[in-house]
Amino acid sequence: MSAARRVLAVARKSLSQFRHDRRTLGFVIAMPLLMVIVFGYTFGGQVHDVRTFVINDDVGSGNDHFADQVLANIAGDTLNLVPATDANFARAEISAGRAWAALVFPANFSARLAARNTTTIGVIIDGSSPPIVSAVFGTLRAAVEKTFAGGVRAPLSLDLDYVYGSADTRFIDSFAPGVVALAVLMVTTIFSVIIVVREKSAGTLERLFSTPLRPVELIFGHALALSVIAVLQSTVVLGAALLLFQIQVVGNIALAFSVLLLFAVGNQGLGMMLSAAAKNELQAVQTIPLILFPSILLTGVFFPLEAIPSGLRPLSYAVPLTYAGDALHSIMLRGWGPAEIWLDLVALIVYAFLTLLGAAVLVRRQA
Amino acid sequence: MPAPPKVKSAIACRDLTKRFGRIEALGGLTMTVPRGVTFGLLGPNGAGKTTSIRLWLGLTAPTSGKASILGEPLPPTAVLPRIGYMPQDLAVYLDLTVAENLALFGRLVGMTEDAIERRTGEVLKLVDIADRRDDMASTLSGGMRRRTSLAAALLHDPDLLLLDEPTVGVDPELRAAFWSFFRELTARGRTVVITTHYMEEAAKCDLVALLHQGRLLARDTPANIKASTHSENLDDAFLALVREGKVVA
Repeated sequence: MSAARRVLAVARKSLSQFRHDRRTLGFVIAMPLLMVIVFGYTFGGQVHDVRTFVINDDVGSGNDHFADQVLANIAGDTLNLVPATDANFARAEISAGRAWAALVFPANFSARLAARNTTTIGVIIDGSSPPIVSAVFGTLRAAVEKTFAGGVRAPLSLDLDYVYGSADTRFIDSFAPGVVALAVLMVTTIFSVIIVVREKSAGTLERLFSTPLRPVELIFGHALALSVIAVLQSTVVLGAALLLFQIQVVGNIALAFSVLLLFAVGNQGLGMMLSAAAKNELQAVQTIPLILFPSILLTGVFFPLEAIPSGLRPLSYAVPLTYAGDALHSIMLRGWGPAEIWLDLVALIVYAFLTLLGAAVLVRRQA
Repeated sequence: MPAPPKVKSAIACRDLTKRFGRIEALGGLTMTVPRGVTFGLLGPNGAGKTTSIRLWLGLTAPTSGKASILGEPLPPTAVLPRIGYMPQDLAVYLDLTVAENLALFGRLVGMTEDAIERRTGEVLKLVDIADRRDDMASTLSGGMRRRTSLAAALLHDPDLLLLDEPTVGVDPELRAAFWSFFRELTARGRTVVITTHYMEEAAKCDLVALLHQGRLLARDTPANIKASTHSENLDDAFLALVREGKVVA
């Protein structure tokens, strides 16, 4: 009886502690709810709205317009078909990352099919994302099968033109940039989210501010130290991806490394902001999943952004990993340079600047 | 170059008030601390001692009132390198060695590496933990951590030392050594402000201020306070003053 009473006493104490910590109480309820909602929406997500140009030069054969039939049979919202007249224009758009694919039907498409001669559909594609490639090919294949169902098997082949990547681009190649960025996000966040709150609870924060040290100097000092760690971590993560898995890297590896570092600095700023806002270590640690979950689910690391429901898409652009992942993807698989990824770079610079500033402001409030 | 104007008091405050919500931690403190004395800030828990020190260091902003520290108005940013502070919480990095702890605070107040090296040896000898110089602070006893904290406050030989309960948990022998050292510092013109709730300890100060519920009850030499309240000791004097509800500005 007395043992049970002691157990209950401990349980009661723990629940009281929760009750007194309002923020923790909020997390306990809101976190799992958020996870279920975001997971549920994103996991069911099919790739959709893949911007695809259609260059339909098919002049038809008698009453047959096979290209029109194939296009009419492209079902669902997987592809967002955009009519175009010039294959070179379409290729340039894909090359600039403004579209994923183009379908080119030659002028004699229907005529050759009617005469049972082999013909082709030209597919110009950005092959840097295997999930997108499968979605395009799968949709096209289904449309072709539906068009010629019951008839004689059409002597039809696809003429593939890879703008980026190749038939050899593996899933791991397309995941690697995002996973590398995610790994850096995890380690930098875990370190930085503790660093300020630890000073607070040890009483050293106040001691530091009794010297001429200013909040912004404290934050930059921490960021500098964390950056040294981030350099090590980025080297390990990128090195392991390259050496162990022979990840495809078309572009400049130094640029990829710089993007990772810039991203790491922003993460440290965010971590320190949350750390400064937290009253204790428990509150600080709870914010880690709050950063990681949206980063895993909303940023195109595991599924392309085209697989994220349209309603959640704006949120993707609020998550910094979206930009880091996109920049690394473009450097490693498309061989892009600073001129092409400038938007990502600007986003990451703004991210780092705002979070470091935010951390300094929040630390100042503590004093 | 003309000599800088001499500032007579190390600390001067006028109507210094700090409220946290509805709670008044310090209510209209008007008081001076002259240079070159050991000054005891005395009172029970919640009297406003730590709040006073935090205000003087600029760690928190006053709700109203003014103060000047070594001639500098609040926040005393310009004179922070001339102040040594030992907080009530130990504020020692347990995952650094004793010497690394000292070096951090030395660098933050602008000491050269040579000066840090030289002074580290001196102050550690003074607080009697020279043999633990390269040990992790986590391996030290509570008393030794306190000495490390004091050593960090002394490292740059500050003009003004603000020590928040420096002798709590310190054994009597070392406590006596601390006090003789404080005397030595004041003999060299330094000002030492010590908060304590031990009345017998406060009796060793040149001047004491008695605080109660954020109000100043008295500020004088221990002898004068005892005499004016017809008390044998400061404990009795304090109780007498609280009973009278007398406030001496």
